[in-house]
Amino acid sequence: MKIVYYKNLKLKNHINLYDSFLFIKIQFVHNKNMVKKVIIGLSAGFVSGFFATGGGMVLVPAFTFLNLSTQRARGTAIFCILPMVITSSIFYYKSNYIDWKISILCAVGGSIGGYIGAKLLKKLPEIVLKITFILFLIYIAFRIII
Amino acid sequence: MEVLIGTISGIISGTGMGGGTVLIFLLGQILGVDHHIAQAANLIFFIPTSIVAIIVNIKNKNIDLKLAMQISILGIIGAVIGAKLAVYTDVNSLKKYFGYFLLIIAIYEIYTLFKKHKK
Repeated sequence: MKIVYYKNLKLKNHINLYDSFLFIKIQFVHNKNMVKKVIIGLSAGFVSGFFATGGGMVLVPAFTFLNLSTQRARGTAIFCILPMVITSSIFYYKSNYIDWKISILCAVGGSIGGYIGAKLLKKLPEIVLKITFILFLIYIAFRIII
Repeated sequence: MEVLIGTISGIISGTGMGGGTVLIFLLGQILGVDHHIAQAANLIFFIPTSIVAIIVNIKNKNIDLKLAMQISILGIIGAVIGAKLAVYTDVNSLKKYFGYFLLIIAIYEIYTLFKKHKK
């Protein structure tokens, strides 16, 4: 829609008041999207740097908000998180927080688990997964805070 | 033990939920690993898993590349700020913030659950 308006506008030699109003509106919508992107990008980066997790939890809903399908949102989110994770790893590495033995052993387990999980995903209904996840999150949160 | 924890977190990641949070929690609770180290382990853990996922997604054309590039660049800036802050934050407060963050996610998840159910 936006692009069509814009093109029509360019074709006209003479722009009347209504058109210029539309033009301003288009510009505004465009900028608003840009502002959204800046906020989304910065906050996702901050979260994944500070908590070392959860970038996806910020990005996936944010992308669906920008009218991406859930699947596409997930794919794009993973792609975006990788550079953020690499950046934050450098800082953790510099401060000697990386324990290679633990990390690599976990990664090995993670690849096995990831494979099992992806298969399991097709078998279990989403609502069961979600409720389990929520209960689990609340439990962890209280264990950590208190 | 580490492999087992990794496997559990991997299963949870594979089902599309925050495996990282689980990994950090289990490392801290079961092995008594320092919170910063647990977070760093999660970062390393994420890299190989995500590369595989990205390759699969590129093959399936599930990535909006233009948007991904824009967000990545901004994300790197955010990550620098976040990581620097995290490194200088002391363990106990970082843990607390982490707990609050999880609570916020839980609340958000409950909200989406209700929203879906209404539809």
